[in-house]
Amino acid sequence: MYKMSEYAFIAAIMATGLALLLYLAYALSGLRAARMQTAGTGARTGILAFAAGPRTAALGRYATILGWLGFAFLSAWLVFRTIATGHGPFANMYEFSVSFAWGILGAYYWFEHRYHQRILGLFALPVALALMFYATTIPSEVEPLVPALQNNLLLSVHVAVAIVAYGSFTIAAAAALLYLIQPEGGRWGLPKPEVLDEIGYKAIVVGFPFLTAVIVLGAIWADVAWGRYWSWDPKETASLVTWLIYGAYLHARVVRNWRGRKSAYLLLVGFGATLFTYFGNLWFGGLHSYSGLG
Amino acid sequence: MTQQARTGRLPGDAPPAPAQADRRAGLGIDSLLEGAWDLLTSMKFGVIVILILAGLGLLGSVIIQAPAGVAADPAAMNDWLAEIAPKIVPGVEFIQGIPVVGALMPTIRYGDVSGLFQTLQLYTIFDSIWFRSLAAVLTASLVACSSHRLPGLWKSATKPHVAIGEAFFTHAPQHEFISVKGSSEEIQGRVGKVLKKHHYRVVSEDDGVVHLYGDKFRWGPFGTVIGHLSLVVILAGAIVGSMFGFRDNGFVVAEGSTVPVATDDGISVELIQFQDAYYTDTGAPADYASDVVVYQDGTEVAHQTVRVNEPLRYGGLSFYQSFYGPAAAMSVAGTDGTALFEDGVPLAWSDGDSGRRVGTFLIPGSGLTVWVIGTAGTGDTVVAPGQMRVEVYQSDGTPVAGETIDQGDTVEVAGYDFTFHREMQFTGLSVSRDPGTPLVWLGSGLMIAGFVLVLMFPHRRIWGRLVTRPGGRGTLSLAGAGRRDVGSNTEFTDLVTEIRAAFTTPTGA
Repeated sequence: MYKMSEYAFIAAIMATGLALLLYLAYALSGLRAARMQTAGTGARTGILAFAAGPRTAALGRYATILGWLGFAFLSAWLVFRTIATGHGPFANMYEFSVSFAWGILGAYYWFEHRYHQRILGLFALPVALALMFYATTIPSEVEPLVPALQNNLLLSVHVAVAIVAYGSFTIAAAAALLYLIQPEGGRWGLPKPEVLDEIGYKAIVVGFPFLTAVIVLGAIWADVAWGRYWSWDPKETASLVTWLIYGAYLHARVVRNWRGRKSAYLLLVGFGATLFTYFGNLWFGGLHSYSGLG
Repeated sequence: MTQQARTGRLPGDAPPAPAQADRRAGLGIDSLLEGAWDLLTSMKFGVIVILILAGLGLLGSVIIQAPAGVAADPAAMNDWLAEIAPKIVPGVEFIQGIPVVGALMPTIRYGDVSGLFQTLQLYTIFDSIWFRSLAAVLTASLVACSSHRLPGLWKSATKPHVAIGEAFFTHAPQHEFISVKGSSEEIQGRVGKVLKKHHYRVVSEDDGVVHLYGDKFRWGPFGTVIGHLSLVVILAGAIVGSMFGFRDNGFVVAEGSTVPVATDDGISVELIQFQDAYYTDTGAPADYASDVVVYQDGTEVAHQTVRVNEPLRYGGLSFYQSFYGPAAAMSVAGTDGTALFEDGVPLAWSDGDSGRRVGTFLIPGSGLTVWVIGTAGTGDTVVAPGQMRVEVYQSDGTPVAGETIDQGDTVEVAGYDFTFHREMQFTGLSVSRDPGTPLVWLGSGLMIAGFVLVLMFPHRRIWGRLVTRPGGRGTLSLAGAGRRDVGSNTEFTDLVTEIRAAFTTPTGA
């Protein structure tokens, strides 16, 4: 099973990498077609329509198929690795990183399916791919669990819920980035700001309750294993910071002058906090030191 | 954070804030209170407070925090500060590890910032005046917001504004006009059927013009109130816990010993045996297990193997596996042979410089304190493995005598016969009683429920206005509340499409 999981992981990297190339080709082809179209009409000032000609559309379809394939391979990795280790594959930095990538792809494809904004893939897939590459650089052996992690139910649920939240936050950040690189009103045939705002919001609508659940489940586990539900452990604190930032976002989004760009910035800050929470235990120590990276 | 605020001022929403003129009318306590109220109910203010709290939290996760109990004791705090000196800011500790982080903070050194950090309470951020007052302000703000919003939410859910003026249908962010045919009842029936199919509640009023109103998830916005007030519940739990709770994170028992818990209810704990196991291939710890018996007034009331993920809970107290270490089975007798002390002594401290483990006990009735010092390992020439050193001090700290004892030997020290029977282990448990925990769990559950409710079940509303003219023709105006929420836009357009279709298909009946 371990071997199978390794093969699935490699296949997932290749599929996702190819998918990313196709997303790039899709974007370039669409932009080029759009430029040619406007050049023909002489209209250079208006909003470009991202021209999805047959070629572009085909590229986009293939990109999606390959990305789905990557997601499918990662899902296979998840299953094989779970069987090989006997718990959700969330016990060290390697397992958590690959699972994080899985969460990003899952969240991305949910949003692509719902909103058909393939350009987002150009921002979401690199994050997933980077996590997978990062995972290849750290030890991937199946290690038996240290006493603190010997709680299969809570380990699996606590981290699985975190992965959904982190995946959603990645999509929200991708949408925010796309929002922010456009001038007011939208340009370059990129997805409309309102749509991006909506995607970002919807990602947080999913991610925020999930992050809340991560923290609550963590508190329950802490109460069982460490003897107190909250100990201001650095990772705990960082997750609380992340939670506060997304909480601020949800409020800022309904304040008259803070809609749009300011809220989008908060999504980026929130994603920064997410990454800090994720990687933080590598250097700030604390009770969550299970990375397996010494 | 709610749908309400996002939809702006729509029919049925909370009444607008009192006019500016009223507020500026008088100076004094009233206007001060009103100003405070306005501030506390301002979303902007809330966002700013949340972001500052987040900033403090970030500092708290970057700057190493003093362990609980240390900050209250100046001597302990100084020791701790000296100990953390090299790693106060991660940049310093990790210059070798992560050069980037180090490079970002090349100038920060312990000596430069420690005093400042201490003054600003940065080592105890979560007990600091900053954090506490901000948390208090935030709590006040969310209580104020919730009570400010509740009447409007209640009204919008129970007594929706059904009869709306004509202007609304041309100014609403989403609106459509449909030409309809048939009697008023027939038209209402068809529209109602479509809405009900989508699980909308339909209300109508007739004041010459027929007003229609449909909504679903009308309780969704109450999730806001639940979500916000749940934070107050959690906070209350934390306060109850810190006021009425009990906690001992350093409860040590040697094998074979029985130690009373420092609560007044006559509970004591005996350690039968402690076992630590390691994975043979990696050497990583596999298990820490304390076989523990709990006594209430001398009667056994619980017996369990306490593991890291398996605490023992009895009578509101919880016992957690926390740490462990060596212990020495010692006995002391007077020179006349009367046994004065016989127990396992946990070597629960460690002497920083030598690396030796240290434990202590009192000789009953003598006023003497005994320090028991274990070996630092094979290279230790003072206390070799298999030996235990005993040092006797008077209560004022004056040394009396000291000897190193081989296992199984009896040696006279300071006029007493000390026997070192054997080395064994002690377990370190965390013992706690936290009566606030149920509140914390209740608040957590409410929080998740509230967030799911408000975020995933936004209040959907649609208004209709039906004007029929003689001859069975009429105009149905429809308006929705969605503005920026594209999801709600499609919901509205879908409904309109279906209602339109209901009027284009031939009348079956």
